[in-house]
Amino acid sequence: MSELKAKLFQDLSDAVVDMDEEKTVETSHRVIDEGIDAYEAIEKGLAHGMDRVGELFDQEEYFIPEVLICSDAMYAGVEVLKPHLKGDEQGEKKKVVIGVIEGDTHDIGKNLVKIMLETSGFDVFDLGRDIPPQQFVDKAKEVGAHIIGLSTLMTTTMDGMREVVRILEETNLREQFKVIVGGGPISQSFADKIGADGYAANAADAVRLARKLVS
Amino acid sequence: MVLGQSEYFKRDLMTPSERLSAYHRGEPVDRLPCVPIVGNTAARVVGTKVSQFRGNGKLLAHAHIEAYRLFQYDIIRIFTDLYTQAEAMGATVHYPEDETAYLEKPALASHGELDQLQPADPYRDGNLPHHLEAMKIAVDKVGKEVTVTGALTCPFTNASFLVGAEQLVRLMLRNPEAVHRLCEISLETNLRYAKAIIDAGCTPSLTDAMSSCTVISPRQFQEFSYPYLKRLIDYIHSRGKSVTLHICGKTNRIWDRMVEAGADCISIDNDADLLEAKEKVGCQVRLMGNVKPSEVMLQGTGDDVRAAVLDCLSKAYDNPKGYIVASGCSLPTETPFRNIHAMLDTVRKVGYPVDPEKLERLSAG
Repeated sequence: MSELKAKLFQDLSDAVVDMDEEKTVETSHRVIDEGIDAYEAIEKGLAHGMDRVGELFDQEEYFIPEVLICSDAMYAGVEVLKPHLKGDEQGEKKKVVIGVIEGDTHDIGKNLVKIMLETSGFDVFDLGRDIPPQQFVDKAKEVGAHIIGLSTLMTTTMDGMREVVRILEETNLREQFKVIVGGGPISQSFADKIGADGYAANAADAVRLARKLVS
Repeated sequence: MVLGQSEYFKRDLMTPSERLSAYHRGEPVDRLPCVPIVGNTAARVVGTKVSQFRGNGKLLAHAHIEAYRLFQYDIIRIFTDLYTQAEAMGATVHYPEDETAYLEKPALASHGELDQLQPADPYRDGNLPHHLEAMKIAVDKVGKEVTVTGALTCPFTNASFLVGAEQLVRLMLRNPEAVHRLCEISLETNLRYAKAIIDAGCTPSLTDAMSSCTVISPRQFQEFSYPYLKRLIDYIHSRGKSVTLHICGKTNRIWDRMVEAGADCISIDNDADLLEAKEKVGCQVRLMGNVKPSEVMLQGTGDDVRAAVLDCLSKAYDNPKGYIVASGCSLPTETPFRNIHAMLDTVRKVGYPVDPEKLERLSAG
């Protein structure tokens, strides 16, 4: 790797960690001006930075506010680089449909998982919050998802998670999708009980779990 | 409707008020205080739908009085959801027919509209008057035998319902001044509501879900949550009431600050460890917690509950400033009655003073 290229990637990574949105945008423009590959800049620059953010979050150095602002900086850079991606080089990304189950509007946890999954190379379809179980299944079918990710903070919506699995079973689609669950009241034993494929305690766990399930 | 009854033969010998004040003075009690934090499960006790509580202080009081009478726990908390004050300030709350309400839309679309916000009038706005009525009724009916508290959502958490949690945490880094203004106006509502609660003969019970280290850093807690929390607690103390403060999720890095803010009792979630809490702040503050509300109380068996209660007891029964056996957070609405009875029964069976050998024996089966 040329010295300049290495430096720009490092700058991108640092700017994400430093929550410096202006710098990710400016550096991304520089990447394009220098004729450096946009895909590589995302992978080895912006996403690399977000990985470090994930580690800092794991170590309780960074908390949710920092992660969100870092992701803002990352996405701002991605916006600049995206138009310069060559169509075929992204390869076939694994797809995840994600959302907060109907009856709940707490979505910070879900948003963190989305950010971390995207950074790790998943194609994430975010349904948002307060989503009826059927809609998860419909969307997963529509986009040909590999994984359905269900999030909740309230116990009242846990039945909705069970319902997603039930709909999949009833329509003979259970084998097509991996179902992963997470959120405050959720536990491994609950995931086992409803027949989900996995439980993640936090965003970093969710990425590890997703990778394992599609590998 | 057939109500599940306590299986254990041993009945309480003291009223909750007698027990708590004796325990506080270091005098003998019949058992340790115990508070399964009953919320909308009270609706199940009287066979009503959760949404019926909306605008109906009499029914809310009735449900919580009957829940107390059924389970015989030590503190009544008048509670439906965390959003009552935010709703009174303009947030939109969705009320499913028979489940706990949730926030549909924050009071403001963006912090640019901050000037439009007014502190709530607890005697006029939203459901606050009905909650106050419920508190008053409960105090009248059972206030002589049991402490009646009213749930109060603290400044930082309430602020998150005014602009939305994600916007609030972004503002902490992008526009700290706006966060302070939101907390200040939340505090004003809190102070008015706390005054009204105390004037009703009741005690505010503080919940501050968003101040958790699961969400914000200890430094951010110090900057954005602590100053307002402290002023709120100072006011409650000035009215002669003690303060129980619940913060959800991870809290070990802010326990000392919770104590410094003035909490007399901290209620900790199952993401935190009672033993560690005892070692770090047990000399300064009473502890309450932390049986898992979902995994154990909602989904577990009676045996799971007994094991969890004994585990909590073995960690915290000898906390220097005292210990209240409790769930880690509000119980889910559908928590089986038998599990709530199992919690109380286990505490009765252990008795007082707590004998660690007996705990071990009971744990072994």
